[in-house]
Amino acid sequence: MSNKQVLLVLFVVLMFGIIWLWAGDQAQSAKHPEVDFSISCVECHTEVTPQAVKDWRGSMHGKMNFGCYMCHGDGQVEFYPKPGSERCIACHSGQEVDFSKTPVKNCFDCHKGHTLKFHTGNE
Amino acid sequence: MALKRREFLKASAAAAAAASIGVTLMPGMEKTVFADSTTWHKSVCRFCGTGCGVMIGEKNGKVVSVKGDLENTINKGHLCVKGFYLHKVVYAKTRLLHPMIKKNGKWERVSWDEALDYVAKKFNEIRKQYGPDALAFYGSGQAETEETYMANKLFKGCIGTNNMEGNPRLCMASAVGGYLTSLGKDEPAGTYADIEKAELFLLVGSNTAESHPIIFERIMRHKNKNPDVKIVIIDPRKTPTDQVADLHLFPRPGWDLAILHAMARIIIKEGYADEEFIKNHVNFRDNEKALTFEEYKQFLEKYTPEYAAKVSGVSPDEIVKAARMFGQAKTAMSMWTMGLNQRTRGVWANNLVTNLHLLTGKIGVPGSDSFSLTGQPNACGGVREGGGLCHLLPAHRLVKNPKHRAEVAKVWGVPVENIQPKPGKHTIAMFTALNKGEIKGIYIMCTNPAQSLPNASKYWKGLKEQFVVVAESFFPTATTEYADVVLPAAFWAEKEGVYGCTERRSQYMEKVIDPQGEARWDAWILRDLAIRMGFKKEFEKYKTAEDIWNEYISLTKGTDMDLSGATYRRLKKVRGLTWPVPSEDHPGTYKRYTKGDPVFDALPEEKKKGRRMYFYGKPDGKAIVWARPDKGPEEPTDAEYPLALSTGRVLEHWHTRTMTGTVPELNRAVPKAYVEINPEDAKKMGIADKDQVIVETRRGKLKIEARVIDRPKPGTIFIPWHWEEWMANILTIDAFDPGSKEPEYKVCAARLRKA
Repeated sequence: MSNKQVLLVLFVVLMFGIIWLWAGDQAQSAKHPEVDFSISCVECHTEVTPQAVKDWRGSMHGKMNFGCYMCHGDGQVEFYPKPGSERCIACHSGQEVDFSKTPVKNCFDCHKGHTLKFHTGNE
Repeated sequence: MALKRREFLKASAAAAAAASIGVTLMPGMEKTVFADSTTWHKSVCRFCGTGCGVMIGEKNGKVVSVKGDLENTINKGHLCVKGFYLHKVVYAKTRLLHPMIKKNGKWERVSWDEALDYVAKKFNEIRKQYGPDALAFYGSGQAETEETYMANKLFKGCIGTNNMEGNPRLCMASAVGGYLTSLGKDEPAGTYADIEKAELFLLVGSNTAESHPIIFERIMRHKNKNPDVKIVIIDPRKTPTDQVADLHLFPRPGWDLAILHAMARIIIKEGYADEEFIKNHVNFRDNEKALTFEEYKQFLEKYTPEYAAKVSGVSPDEIVKAARMFGQAKTAMSMWTMGLNQRTRGVWANNLVTNLHLLTGKIGVPGSDSFSLTGQPNACGGVREGGGLCHLLPAHRLVKNPKHRAEVAKVWGVPVENIQPKPGKHTIAMFTALNKGEIKGIYIMCTNPAQSLPNASKYWKGLKEQFVVVAESFFPTATTEYADVVLPAAFWAEKEGVYGCTERRSQYMEKVIDPQGEARWDAWILRDLAIRMGFKKEFEKYKTAEDIWNEYISLTKGTDMDLSGATYRRLKKVRGLTWPVPSEDHPGTYKRYTKGDPVFDALPEEKKKGRRMYFYGKPDGKAIVWARPDKGPEEPTDAEYPLALSTGRVLEHWHTRTMTGTVPELNRAVPKAYVEINPEDAKKMGIADKDQVIVETRRGKLKIEARVIDRPKPGTIFIPWHWEEWMANILTIDAFDPGSKEPEYKVCAARLRKA
């Protein structure tokens, strides 16, 4: 592969990366769909995202019944589709991490998905 | 500062998230989640009786965040969902910001001077015309010890009435009665430190996972690490606590006393009793007389597993299994809460749990205790210890005891004759007297009885007709609806003071910010009211919260709950101290009635000889195993009302939602009340999930959404009681335990139909 081709591939990868980041960050400020807010998060998401609810139920948060809202907000006043680490530290104050010294930038980089189990390697 | 696009995007998103917790983030934001400019202040959670340590984040004079206090031994940095959002409650739109007087049926904002002059004038008029017992105070297990202390002095010591109660009567009085009658002194022998040493947990009438989540977490972690740890539940309803259960007995609500007797019988018959401990530490009694061990065994003969099964609806095999598990475990910790306490035989139920520990010697050693869980953050500290009930005086003293009255009157600086020897009216009697017009003026502080009393609508009459003053942080509430005057009270973080939690631990809370609006600390409201009522000499000396605390702890000196060593100076540094703590160099007490308890250690050697425990609240130092009858609920189900109704909490809300109802996330989690119906019952009645149904008892009816779910046992229904809109307490029964005077919220007869 010529240098030009390498640069082109790198450029494409970079653009995808930027688009992904943009999309991800757009999602942060996205609005929760207008739904029947008289029912709880879990009640609705058991139907619309069953796997997420199943994973959550099996997690420590699920066992403690610490619901969707703790990471994602209430959906109306506040909504965080891709939550940051801010809320984690309120309860897990013993696990405060200096992310400037780690290859990751967010609790969820390792504690992925709704199981929140610790992932290693290339996962 | 120039930010690259990617940094900007990430920082913007995180800043939006951070705004919710009030923290401003900069690039590298994860590191600065709790920014350096935020100052952290040590405090205690405002909700249940667990006593979790919280750190309050303050920036520029505002509370911006809360995090768990890592140094606190109770929660070790963890929080439950309610504590997590406490900072949002401070700035709730429903905060009461100004004193108001109701004039011609309309609320009018007034100055503090006008409000307090008006209350003082009305109270003095009532006192002069009808006597001191025409006035009453109704307080709270959420008030600080200093606040309850001031009310106690004003009403019992100055006005001269013992009509002083608090909502712990509605939640903990049976536990008090249980401890006093079984062990001789109130509050548990052990502490939370027993949790990680226990081999077995017996959870009776406690949905620990939702009502005491951090204690549940500690139990769950302990079991995860030690899979041999066993958990036995006795409760009519399946709850999230069941996730960790090895065995769950589902009695019919209110019919569990026979199970506890049957367990005792099996424990003795199969050789699990500690005969040596019994010989040296235990007496036996029934309701009339002392018994021998042999006579007690005879009493138990009736309680075969089959008999208990017939009474309770639990299978005999499960009862035997539960008894064997309790007997075989080297250490056992029982925990209970409202499922036992809120019963017409709540004291007896408490006795029968403690019986199991006394018979097996599983008390006074690490990992074993008969441990009552408390519902409110300062029910133990302020009301039980502080003497905020109609028969009590500070530091476990009694109004009927002349020596106690003299000791307290001397410290209060009031004539001893001011303190009446006869107990005042307990909560239900107090609100009944309000209905009858025997009580003509009441001061309600930090609680919401118009919603939280059982058979609530019955008591609205008195609240409507008499002179009602409500000191509150929130407005409106069900109770302010009936008030004549509302006084804005400083909330958590806006005042300093001490909370005493379930495990005898007193913890100091810092004042972090000034109160919202014109709100004032309850203790100063009471002081200023007292001065205006003519008690200047008695109250003007209190200049700081520490003045009040110092006077209070001087009254604890030399008692079983000695707090002399728990000075503000010390409490500000440590994460609480478990009494007795008789001097500033004393570390606090892990186990009572045994070596290491300063009261035990100070006993003459001859008393301690041959004993590892001495129950010093009893004349001969021996605890009592009680042979109580197995009475059922006051209002059993019948053909007309065939369902047993129980009420309780959910994880996300607390009491009457004056606090949790202001947090959007908690409202989203559980937006409304519902009635849980077992699928078998629902099928028979033709009711589907989410149908609107009418729940009716002999006292009222409620339209509510059905939740068809395999949680309540068939024949029982359950309603969470937090919502004013779906007020479960218009259904509950106000019959109460004749000993503890605690009402039977936990069971009454109901019927249900599709709306």
